[in-house]
Amino acid sequence: MAKGPLQNKIFLSLLGAVAFMFLFSFMLVPLYNVFCEVTGLNGKIYGPSDFFKKNNETYERQVNIRFLSTVNGSAPVTFYPTETNIEVMTDKVSKTSYVATNNTNKKLTLSIVPSVSPGLAAENVKKIQCFCFSEQTLGPYETQEWPIRFYIDSELTENVNNVYLSYTLFETEREEALALNHEH
Amino acid sequence: MSAVVENHDHHDDHHGPKKGIMRWLTTTNHKDIGTLYLWFSFAAFLLGGAFAMGIRAELFEPGLQLMDPIRYNQLVTMHGLIMIFGGVMPAFVGLANWLIPMQIGAPDMAMPRMNNLSFWLLPTAFTILLSTAFMEGGMPGFGWTFYAPLSTNYPNVAYFVFAIHIMGASSIMGSINVVVTIMNMRAPGMTLMKMPLFVWSWLITAYLLIAVMPVLAGAVTMLLMDAYFGTSFFDAAGGGDPVLFQHVFWFFGHPEVYIMILPAFGITSHIISTFSRKPLFGHASMVYAMVSIAVLSFVVWAHHMFTVGMPLVAELFFMWATMLIAIPTGVKVFNWCATIFKGSITYETPMLFAIAFVVLFTIGGFSGLMLAITPADFQYHDTYFVVAHFHYVLVPGAVFSIMAAVYYWLPKWTGNMYDEKMGRLHFWLSFIGVNITFFPQHFVGLAGMPRRYADYALQFAEWNAVSSVGAFLFGFSQLLFLYIVVKTVFAGKKATPQVWDGADGLEWTVDSPAPYHTFDVPPKING
Repeated sequence: MAKGPLQNKIFLSLLGAVAFMFLFSFMLVPLYNVFCEVTGLNGKIYGPSDFFKKNNETYERQVNIRFLSTVNGSAPVTFYPTETNIEVMTDKVSKTSYVATNNTNKKLTLSIVPSVSPGLAAENVKKIQCFCFSEQTLGPYETQEWPIRFYIDSELTENVNNVYLSYTLFETEREEALALNHEH
Repeated sequence: MSAVVENHDHHDDHHGPKKGIMRWLTTTNHKDIGTLYLWFSFAAFLLGGAFAMGIRAELFEPGLQLMDPIRYNQLVTMHGLIMIFGGVMPAFVGLANWLIPMQIGAPDMAMPRMNNLSFWLLPTAFTILLSTAFMEGGMPGFGWTFYAPLSTNYPNVAYFVFAIHIMGASSIMGSINVVVTIMNMRAPGMTLMKMPLFVWSWLITAYLLIAVMPVLAGAVTMLLMDAYFGTSFFDAAGGGDPVLFQHVFWFFGHPEVYIMILPAFGITSHIISTFSRKPLFGHASMVYAMVSIAVLSFVVWAHHMFTVGMPLVAELFFMWATMLIAIPTGVKVFNWCATIFKGSITYETPMLFAIAFVVLFTIGGFSGLMLAITPADFQYHDTYFVVAHFHYVLVPGAVFSIMAAVYYWLPKWTGNMYDEKMGRLHFWLSFIGVNITFFPQHFVGLAGMPRRYADYALQFAEWNAVSSVGAFLFGFSQLLFLYIVVKTVFAGKKATPQVWDGADGLEWTVDSPAPYHTFDVPPKING
């Protein structure tokens, strides 16, 4: 068999390629997040971005905001917005709220994941206060009203007049959620 | 960069194989390992086929007759996993083992012990995967694409993950072996551009495997961590993103589908040239076409997920990039047609399968172009149209090319000619069966029948019944294939070294059956 420096070199460089691609698959996680953050894609809400900014003309106008709520899987919670639809002026802070009720006799830890649609409007939704910033807890059969304060900055692309704010509520006690899912 | 191989000091190379089972367990001979791979893939093909028969039996008429939906999902998942990782990929690796050393004039693969290991990892992996059938919770039922977070919440997912890890390791070792063999062990005078196309197709495939199998390993590792170690790569509740899973998976998954078709291109090129008794039209353009297809395969993955809510820019990019692949593929189909044109054609079984490959693979390619059109894909996504599309490229595509290769090289492997009448009968049963099975799935798909359900609406009943009848015809005619191959191993008209009078290449210069050791002294390549 041809055992020689050439063979070892090719073998080792291929092995290196394998190791690199394995690490690369994990690098895709931060790369994806950075990409979404830079471009404002996928409805992720982060800091300001000028990736898709066409011009600096800004003017105040009215935007229609709709609120959606989703309870993930089998989480035993009732969760809905107090207002489904409000008109806001750009750059003016508005306040609304969501209501959540625990339907069990146990304490629940919940996390609520936001999403904005259309995705390109995500960077223009500025939240000052939100229940999605941290985990929430609900005592047995407790009902809480969770406020949101936000404004839409006036750099919002002019062809966007309707913005959907969607919140998905997850039960963070994973073990319990898993057990429920397995009862087929 | 052709390295000359000479002066072996392997005295033990020159006696025959060991006797009994130890020959197969400890073998480092590329021909033995090729045979093991091919039989393993045949077994997987029959098992995966049995699962497919179960699926089609359930779908024979609307309603739930034979199994509950969970069992149905398990059959669909295992059918996909077994056919891809146990059927098609090992079959191509088996062909690579048998043919690459003989086609480049090398005595064996570059790393024979690793070769043995990479084969024996496969039965290990499939034992782990199939053992879930006997466990509480059962086999994985989340589809072969194992989208998170469905898969992270599934029982027995760890067995699936470890099985994939082991299969991946096996593929990576096999690919490294192929690349090192091709780069180092070509006969003197065989430059890269003089290599036979099957060798070229495998060189490119091996690079694709080395690039993407580790990404698959990464994806299943993240899945395992999400399921058992409390991370949230794909779990939105913990700040992860389920769409990220689809990106990582299809970054592997799209090159993977070309891994399953590029060696078929190589095989078809050899067979069409042999039975047209003409050199292949456009050898160099075939190589460039395969390289372009391989490169493009890395930038088209998101066409599998047009409906996840990507921005317009991304949808357009992935649409155009996907359509671009039609160009090198068109070059290949053109070259095959140009090779047949004005040739002295005979229609032996391998040629029948190869021509069917060109025609039916092209139909699969056209439905692929339809799916690439983003706005149309919103209609087709997750319907039976997609099922029809990928079965057209994989069954009469990849699988037909493997059958063609088996008929074409079987006389070289066994020293006996197969029964030509039986071979043609097998071809026509398969050809008719495959089309009856999958063509109607285009119709029900366009009419809106969704994938991955055990039941369907009444208006799809007729075409599903037709499809099931075709599937049984195709499935059971493969037993004829098994019979023909077994019969040829033990008896048949003796084959000449060249076997086919139009055949050209180093493997046809050695005796039939090929001696246990070939090209201990490298042949000289002329011109």
